[in-house]
Amino acid sequence: MKRRKIILLLAIIAIAGVLYGLYWYYKQPQDIRSAPPQLESTAARIIADFNRDEQVATKKYVDKVILINGKVADIKVESNGTATVFLDGNDPLASVTCSFYNDQAGSLKTVKPGAMIKIKGVCTGKLMDVVFNKCSIVP
Amino acid sequence: MKTGLFIISFLLLTVAAFSQKYFTKNGTVSFQAGTALEDIDATNKSAASVFDAATGQIEFAVLIRGFELRRALMQEHFNENYMESNKYPKATFKGKISNLQSISFQKPGSYPATVSGVLEIHGVKKQVTANGTLQVSGTSVQALAKFPVIINDYNIAIPGIVRDKISQTAVVTVNCTYTPLH
Repeated sequence: MKRRKIILLLAIIAIAGVLYGLYWYYKQPQDIRSAPPQLESTAARIIADFNRDEQVATKKYVDKVILINGKVADIKVESNGTATVFLDGNDPLASVTCSFYNDQAGSLKTVKPGAMIKIKGVCTGKLMDVVFNKCSIVP
Repeated sequence: MKTGLFIISFLLLTVAAFSQKYFTKNGTVSFQAGTALEDIDATNKSAASVFDAATGQIEFAVLIRGFELRRALMQEHFNENYMESNKYPKATFKGKISNLQSISFQKPGSYPATVSGVLEIHGVKKQVTANGTLQVSGTSVQALAKFPVIINDYNIAIPGIVRDKISQTAVVTVNCTYTPLH
């Protein structure tokens, strides 16, 4: 009787372990559209931080969900469905590139260069620009 | 004097016309590295690239963390274990369009293009050649290319447990729409 209980318990643990493993294995990446921002900043501040010390800025921003305030410099929606907003970084050489979820392209139709905007996304680092992906507009 | 001025302005104009550079900061670079057991594909929608229509020099750069994968765990393994994106945050390509003379950036059309140069991934540089197409239209140039990358060439260690799921060759696809750089 006792032995049976132990076997049953072990089986439950094993099944729970497998389910837990499968859960992690199939887990989707976080949906940034509904994720709370970890930090709020401005495009100019982000560019200035990366210009001052890229390593420190990388620690501060990269892989984090950031709410960015900035002025729209340009908008690009390409034929393959990608949608990107460039924010003025108050620097002639660098701006902030915000690559949107493809299904958010429609929300950019009414956005015009020069407008102030709030965008949420994940910082991926700096090339010429500081780059964010998984972006969406925050009303 | 007049002839001199004419020659100088002619030279300046041709230099201006020939030093036409094109750039993009929202190019798409993706790869497929799956097998029959597992679909593995990743897309980066903010590739930066610039090329010079006069010399054929062409460069690409992507942030490794900008590749989006289908699952959270794949994304984590890609960054932490395989690409070590903290240590090697970028992949770059620097090369040249080798058949520049058969491409006209003034005449709209679709031109086959061959590009050779150095691809740097995971801190390892390799000479590569890729074939693609340049589609010239009135205001922009679209570059399309597809080429294989042998994962082992770039010192990327794939553990035995997932070896059947990850292809030894990743197929890289490039789709960039360039506009003139003023």
